Amino acid sequence: MRPGRQLAVLGFIFVVLYLLVFFAGASGSWKDRLEPKLGLDLIGGTRVTLEATNSVDGKPPTAENLEEAREIIESRVNAFGVAEAEVVTEGNRNIVISLPGENRNLDDVGEAAELRFRKVLKAASGSGVAEAPPAATPAPSGSAAPTGSATPSGAATPTPAGSASPKVTSSPSGGQGGMAPASPSTTPTPSASATASPSAAAPSASAEPVPASVEEQRKAVEQKVGTAAWQAANGLQAPADLSADPSLAEKLKPFGTLSPQEVAVLPAQMQFNVPTIGCAQLDQRPPASISDAKQQVVSCEDGASKYLLDQAKVLGTDVSDADAVLDQTNAWVVSLDFTGDGQGKWTSLTREAFNNEGQACDATALGQDGKCRVAVVLDNKIVSSPEIQGVLTGNSQITGTFTQKDASTLAGQLRYGALPVTFEQQEAQNVTATLGASHLRAGLLAAGIGMLLVIIYAFFYYRLLGSVIFLSLILSALLVFGALVVLGRQIGFTLTLAGIAGMIVSLGVAADSFVIYFERLKDEIREGRSPRSAVPRAWIRARRTIISANAITLLSAVVLYVVSVGTVKGFAFALGLATVLDLVVVFLFRHPIMTMFARTRAFLSPRVSGLGRALPARNQPTQPRNPRAKEA
Amino acid sequence: MAQNGLASRLYNGEAGLNIVGRRKLWFGVAGVLVLIAILSFSIRGFSLGIEFAGGNSFQVPASVGTLDDAEREVNSALAAENTGVMVATTQKVGGPGGDSYELRTPQLTAEQATAVKAQIAEDLGISADQISDNQVSEAWGSQVTERAVLGLVIFIALVMVYLILRFEWRMAVAAVASLITNLILTAGIYSLVGFEVTPSTIIGFLTILGFALYDVVVVFDKVQENTRGITANNNQTYSEASNLAINQSLMRSLNTSVVALLPVGGLLFIGAGLLGAGTLKDLGLVLFVGMAVAFLTSILVATPLLALLKNYDPRIQAHNKRVLTRRGAVGRGEVAGKGAAASPVAQADATDEPVDQDAAALAGAAPKVGARPAGKRPTGARGGRPGGGGNRPGGAKRR
Repeated sequence: MRPGRQLAVLGFIFVVLYLLVFFAGASGSWKDRLEPKLGLDLIGGTRVTLEATNSVDGKPPTAENLEEAREIIESRVNAFGVAEAEVVTEGNRNIVISLPGENRNLDDVGEAAELRFRKVLKAASGSGVAEAPPAATPAPSGSAAPTGSATPSGAATPTPAGSASPKVTSSPSGGQGGMAPASPSTTPTPSASATASPSAAAPSASAEPVPASVEEQRKAVEQKVGTAAWQAANGLQAPADLSADPSLAEKLKPFGTLSPQEVAVLPAQMQFNVPTIGCAQLDQRPPASISDAKQQVVSCEDGASKYLLDQAKVLGTDVSDADAVLDQTNAWVVSLDFTGDGQGKWTSLTREAFNNEGQACDATALGQDGKCRVAVVLDNKIVSSPEIQGVLTGNSQITGTFTQKDASTLAGQLRYGALPVTFEQQEAQNVTATLGASHLRAGLLAAGIGMLLVIIYAFFYYRLLGSVIFLSLILSALLVFGALVVLGRQIGFTLTLAGIAGMIVSLGVAADSFVIYFERLKDEIREGRSPRSAVPRAWIRARRTIISANAITLLSAVVLYVVSVGTVKGFAFALGLATVLDLVVVFLFRHPIMTMFARTRAFLSPRVSGLGRALPARNQPTQPRNPRAKEA
Repeated sequence: MAQNGLASRLYNGEAGLNIVGRRKLWFGVAGVLVLIAILSFSIRGFSLGIEFAGGNSFQVPASVGTLDDAEREVNSALAAENTGVMVATTQKVGGPGGDSYELRTPQLTAEQATAVKAQIAEDLGISADQISDNQVSEAWGSQVTERAVLGLVIFIALVMVYLILRFEWRMAVAAVASLITNLILTAGIYSLVGFEVTPSTIIGFLTILGFALYDVVVVFDKVQENTRGITANNNQTYSEASNLAINQSLMRSLNTSVVALLPVGGLLFIGAGLLGAGTLKDLGLVLFVGMAVAFLTSILVATPLLALLKNYDPRIQAHNKRVLTRRGAVGRGEVAGKGAAASPVAQADATDEPVDQDAAALAGAAPKVGARPAGKRPTGARGGRPGGGGNRPGGAKRR
């Protein structure tokens, strides 16, 4: 290939790369578009590595389990509302959480997933806005729909998407139960006074005593909101109707400002009854805030409805399997299987809900068929609250207007409880923004010094040819930078301190390929070839060595990337990337430039090229030399 | 040539160092060093970073006072939270963003760490946002090491395959043997000097693999070239040809090593000099030590080992015998030939190979048909093929 053509290819690559940098998925000012994605050790942030272990046999979890575990963790982390939170799996057992730019306590996200089945006792609005009248509760009203019949699912009127409440029926094979779908009417909830149910308002007799530490924290919250507000909240027997009582609204206002952690320590009755406590706060309570099966708790569904829930009678560990399946009517449903033990508990829970025994469920909380609902609570949120359509003694189905995706998600969430995975915090790193910036500057400084040293050496040893090295290093740096920006955006590659170190190390690789080439060239010239013929000959021979040597560096980078954990990955990726780009520069820049250089006269002058020093030997014919031996 | 200094001869690849011939010396030295390294592993062990023992570290800005102040405050915070541990080590670390103090403690639970951090912030009168903290469980270091060993094994297996395809199995064995020597010696230096081993060290350790082989590939490439078609004539033994290759590529190896060490030196300078601790220093140090060792092992172990292995190849064995035979004959004046009877390299061959001088001399008494006088060869110490043309004997011209 002609040198001009190779340079044109390089130019093309360069233009395409930088078009990608500026226009592919980029936004903001020119400066923003040029920003590579930096790791949190460079901009500050929190990074936690959790090791997942199969709690049954102590081995690494299966890939499937690990992915499900990652999803749980991700949903917990997303509850923080950090924009660039990232939760990824690493190797066969690690889950890495990074929160760039944020220092947060992530101690709790690694708690085991808590799946609970709780009967819904009461419902209220979860908007949390003081002005909002609780009448807007979207809880479906109780309608006396026939239940227990063998009506096939989905036989009746189609339900409007998005508003249908799911139902639990027994699987068709069970031959029991059924459902009567109907669009839930959005009738206003009866007024607060009407729903006041003394039995539910008082803490359940079997509730565990509150631990002392919680008592202390409650005191702190009490001080924060003020005694008046606390007493007003304590006096509530039902969700207060603030529109009816503006003075109460004023009193309860401080509750709206509590942090999720503070809300978590409040008694369940208070969390439920104080309308200023919204789902926004409830959803972000620390994980495991409501995992105690013996307590009544408050939780939200879809961030809108707030429910008071009974003790958990069935736990996630009672579920043996959950799958999204198509039923006979071609609708997506979630089938639910229980373990032997769990089946008994599930049957008694459904009996209780179906017959409305025990802790009575309130009229606000009934399903559209007038039966109690059972909430599936994952961590702090209700993922689904199907109405119970019968006493379920066998496998059950949750029906509703599910898409395949909805059904799979729900099935996945139900399986979480059965997920035999526990997490252990392996590594936690909290880097302040100042320290991060300091790291970044140090890394760049090290890269600068490294590059400078290489260039000085190149000029010292190869004289003018050093400028070729200089130019190709600059070119490599520009390519690497462009690739970093693009890869950061497209595949989420983040540059960490270890990555910068990888880049610096790759400078050596890049410079090495010069040395190999130039030393070859020196050999050729010493043998008496003219520069014009020496360049292509040296190139052909050096090429082989360069490719083998770079292949080995690349091999080590790939192996490191695939098997390693932690910051090694970033290092290996950077090293591999820089090595590949070095090959591009070697083939498309250095060789054509050298070919062009060889046509100039200055090339051979010892003062200019550093290669001429090989010449004098040739000029002394008396010197006994055997050019063949030098041939390389 | 004699009037040139060593530097110039090095530059031109004519230093004429007898490296392959002294292989017993190199192997001996390498063997003793490897033994010392292994003894050091078992007796002294390594000084492991907190990542392996498990522990916490807190980094507070130096603006809070002296290092002793910071330590006292952290100790009181540790006591206040009933952790029952004390600060283990303290260190002042620099950085372009301002100095800070790093205080390490034995492992705390996540809750304790959070509480201690809040307490330190309160005691020192700074915001908790200004404190960086790190927590590593005991299992983390072993997980990193476990993966690193796995990576090492996979890499060596793959590189064996690659080298066998690219060169041949003897070269692959020699290259990997020198690689392993390199790793053992580097680890030995770490153990003896007592440098701290962190997961970053292990990363760097794995990266040396690539570099150590880089040098070996450069030399072997030349050896392969010099010995292509070597059996077609009787001038050089394999050892001599490979020794020549080393000499010719010595400058190249030296240059690639220097050039690769320069940026790592920059890394080390910033990491150790400016920052005082952390990823950059750990990486820089292990790469620097490893790459320096790699330069030596690639020259002093890899190629001599290759020559040794090659000498057991029946074809090469026969060839060496022929060369020595011929030299024997030349020495007795039966055949006009090389000035020197045998090069030092060849003598080494003669002593540790199944080709003994007597046999060679005996065989030499009856010159082979077709043995022909070589050209005038004043520089007999180094081999070379007769004739001057540009054609390579015994092999297709490589393109």
